[in-house]
Order: sequence, then C-alpha cells, then structure tokens
Amino acid sequence: MNAVEQALSPKAALRLISGNHACALAAVAAGCRFFAGYPITPSSEVAERLSQLLPEVDGVFVQMEDEIASIAAVIGASMGGVKALTATSGPGFSLKQENIGYAAGAEIPCVIVNVMRGGPSTGMPTRPAQGDIMQSRWGSHGDYPIIVLAPASVREIYTETLRAFDLAETCRTPVVLLYDQVIAQLTETVDLADAKDLRNAERKWASGPRETYQPYATGEDGIPAMSRPGAGYRVHTTGLNHAENGFPTQNPEAVARNLGRLLTKLDRHREAIDSWQAIGCADAEVVIVAIGISARAATRALDLARARGVRLGLFRPVTLWPFPETALREATKNARAVLVPEMNAGQLSLEVERILGGKRVDAIHRYNGEPITPAEIAERAEALAKEAR
Amino acid sequence: MRDARLEIRIGGTGGQGLILCAKMLADALCTTGSRVAQSQTYEPTSRGGYCNSDLVISEREVDFPLATALDCLVLLDRMALKPSLPLLKPGGLVIADTRLCPELPAGHYRLHHLPLSRRAIELGSERVANIVALGALAALAGICERKALEHAVRAETPKSFLDINLDALAAGYRLGEQATPTAALIFG
Repeated sequence: MNAVEQALSPKAALRLISGNHACALAAVAAGCRFFAGYPITPSSEVAERLSQLLPEVDGVFVQMEDEIASIAAVIGASMGGVKALTATSGPGFSLKQENIGYAAGAEIPCVIVNVMRGGPSTGMPTRPAQGDIMQSRWGSHGDYPIIVLAPASVREIYTETLRAFDLAETCRTPVVLLYDQVIAQLTETVDLADAKDLRNAERKWASGPRETYQPYATGEDGIPAMSRPGAGYRVHTTGLNHAENGFPTQNPEAVARNLGRLLTKLDRHREAIDSWQAIGCADAEVVIVAIGISARAATRALDLARARGVRLGLFRPVTLWPFPETALREATKNARAVLVPEMNAGQLSLEVERILGGKRVDAIHRYNGEPITPAEIAERAEALAKEAR
Repeated sequence: MRDARLEIRIGGTGGQGLILCAKMLADALCTTGSRVAQSQTYEPTSRGGYCNSDLVISEREVDFPLATALDCLVLLDRMALKPSLPLLKPGGLVIADTRLCPELPAGHYRLHHLPLSRRAIELGSERVANIVALGALAALAGICERKALEHAVRAETPKSFLDINLDALAAGYRLGEQATPTAALIFG
C-alpha cells in the first residue's frame, strides 16, 4: 500500500488534515499526475505534499523557475494528455494570468489553486484575504470563460478539488480553486469516507476518421474533442483567434462563430457546474452571502442571531464563477435585505448587487488581515433586519 | 448556541513549536472522538514575531473554526499577551511561563505561572518547552486522555527527539498536577 492508498484507506477516513494537504490528496485521487509550481505562502503545502505523493503514483512533480513557467508547464502537460495542477498565491496568481487566458482560449483543461492572502502586490503573505474574487474571473485580458470554485472547509477543499478536475476535463477549461489562507492552513477533523465515490471524469478524446478531424469543431455540447498525442490526428494549437481547424484567423465570421461558441460553452453545462449552499433562506429576514472563512463566520452568526429572535439565512456560492445567479435570486426572494461580509474592499457585493438589482445590499468590507467574526456579522445583520422591518 | 465548544490558544513567538504542539493535542483529541479545528497566526519571519496556534474542540463539526472566546490560554512569551488576553473568557485558565512571560496584568482569570521553559532547559533543550507546556495544559485542563497524547507525541516526534519529548511531556504533567493557582494574581 503506497502513501496515497494509505491516506485514502477507510481506516483513515476520519482524520485531521490541513486544507492544502486535502487539496494535494484529492488531486492525486482525481487522477492528477503532473504538478508544476513555485512555492509561495500560503499555498506551499500543496506543492510540498504533492512532491511526496506524485512520485509514488508515477506522476511528475516539477519545481519550476517561477509562476509563469509553472502554468506554462501545466498547460503543456495537459496538452500531452495528463491531468495537471499548479498552486500559487497573491503575486503568483497575477503572474499566471496571461497563460490562464491561453488555457481558456485554446481550451486546455487544467486546475489552478489560488490561496488568497493579503494584497495588493506582496501584501501580507501569512494573513488571509478574499481580494482575488474578481481577478479569478477577469484577471486575463479579453473575453473568456472560466470556472472558479470556492470551498469553505477542509472537507470541501477535498471534494471541490475532485470536482475541479472533473469540470476542467469535461468542459475543456481552466478551473480555479479559490480559497483563503485560513481554510488553506486550517487543520480539521474530516470524514472522507463518502468523498471517494465522486466521479472521476475523462476528457472527450477524438475518435473517428483522421482526415475529417477538426480540433475545434463541436457538436451540441460545445466542447471540442481533443486529440490524444500520438493518435495520428492533425492538430494546431494557438493563442491567436482560430477557426475550427485550429489555425489563426481574423475572418470576422469565423472569429464570431468560434469565439461565440467558446464564450457560451459553459452555459450549456451549468447543471454540472453550478453549486451552492442555502441555509434557512426561505423565511430569513436578511440573507448573508459569503464565501470561505467569512461564510464559516456567517454560519455561526445564524445561530447567534436566532438566539436573539432574528431569522438570518446564508447563501454560499460553492461555484463562484459562473455565479449561480438563479439560485441567489430564489434564495433571497423573501428577504428584506442582503448582507455581504467579505475580506476585501468590495467585490462579491458588486456581483450580488448586479444580480439582485433593486434589493437592499449592505456589506462588511475588511482588508486588514483579520477575519470577520460571527459576532460582527450577527450584529450588522440584526441591525439591518430591524431597519428593513 | 448549537453545541458546546472549547477554545484553546497556545501563544508565543515563531520557532517555539506552537503549531506542532497544537497539532499533537489535536491528534490526541481526534483519536478520542472529538471534532477539532486547529488554526494558526504567524509572521513572515521564520523565527521570532508573534505566533499562536488555536484549537476549537466540539463534539460535532465545528462551524466557525477560529477562536472567539478562549477557555484556555498558554503563554510561552509575553508577546502573546496583548493579542490574546482580550479573547479570554472571564474565569478562563491561563498557563504562563515564569521566565518568558513574567508579568501579567490584572484580570479575571485562573493563572498558573509555571517554569515551563526552565524545566525544558533542565531536561537539556529549551526547544521542548512546547511539550512541557502541552503536558501542563493537559493536566490542568483535563481535556484529553494521557495515553492518547503520549501516542500523538510519539507519532509526531523524530527519533532523535523522542526520549526528551516524552520526558518533557511527563515533566509538564507533573508541573500541572502539582500546581496551585497563584492566588495573588486572581482578580475579578
């Protein structure tokens, strides 16, 4: 039994594990066999653990010269047919942006872990923040689709890492796993017994006649079939806008057709992509919308407020992008107001305001490296409930 | 409140092994069936600077995993006083090192001023002060079975440190078991 099997054995199902280590373990369980990265606090434990785990499953671990090279290597490995991962934080995520756009445009499946720490620039390396909510969606130039998953517990880092690989492979897209320093370096008792049964999806590979294969031609699902290296299909991959044959084009019709397909491809798979948690929203006076450690604080705030006779609800987008807007509208339809606690100067609240246009949306914005507490959320939400009565 | 929770902080400076000893305690609690969340605050410097490791213990899954009202506070350096004391519950347990945290402000808490680091130096290395503290905490707070804690210390200790760590744990238990509250420092 190697370290991976041992780690995933039923005997070890209930155990203490850190968020970053849960990510590494889940990556291997999802079939990831390539990691390239450059260590940076507070994401380094993902790399550290994978440097031990990957060699045991005949995988490849490379510490690259920097973050740009890391994402480039990951894209290359994925084009070579291997499930691939990189992990970073803060400035490292900024450096990866150009190639994240390349992966989105050329439709190369890959998973990017971004552990959020204080910013901007090198910011506060060991303190938590949630300041990359918008960057994770819009960080690269031009229009492009991307999936961002925002786990809020160690167990959820495990399950969402599995899902990140599934979605990356089946939708042929980069997927960002976005969580904050608290959850990353939190060690929690977790039960992984039922987490192992999640599906382990495979990429859609090219089959059929080689002569007529077009690398970016698709059917109804909008997902082009990828050619397995050495399978004999003729392939061209580029960051330039391309036609169905994969070669660069500036022909307006071809660009509109192909880019249009790219920009709407995730819309066709929202059922698999969307994920959220709604607690007590149906009869809540105020619904709190939060992710990560702020959502954990909100969970407790619900109890604190209930003890004082105020009904609060929590809507937690697990898939952050594309934002589950229909579910948010449904969860907040009976609420008088919405409160968004977040560790930044105002990002998630912008999206919530956009979706709920007209409804009162208040926010707690915190960017000093100190997590927002349950008491602060309860106090603000209770005041908001009373004002809105 | 959905369920009872117990909160513990081990505070000091970077390099004292605060996170390690909190992990050992978390391991011991986990094997005896408790749900634990262990978090940490540290500075970018690898040695020195304020550092703490917090444990939130519950019979059920922990909702908010960070400390909000400490039941127990271990102080291995005076630097941990200022950020930690305001979080202490009234009447909470404080275990402070006599050498590195010699003076404490008045407050409503049960103080045990113990020679944790001095005992570690006597055992041969100041580096095991964290394990002495762990033993004292376990004895005074009565939060976990000694066997489970010994097992966790064994599991997390490299061979070359095993004997001294087990001695340190035993020394910490003795300090805790023999301790009487320093009455003069109880206010409230």
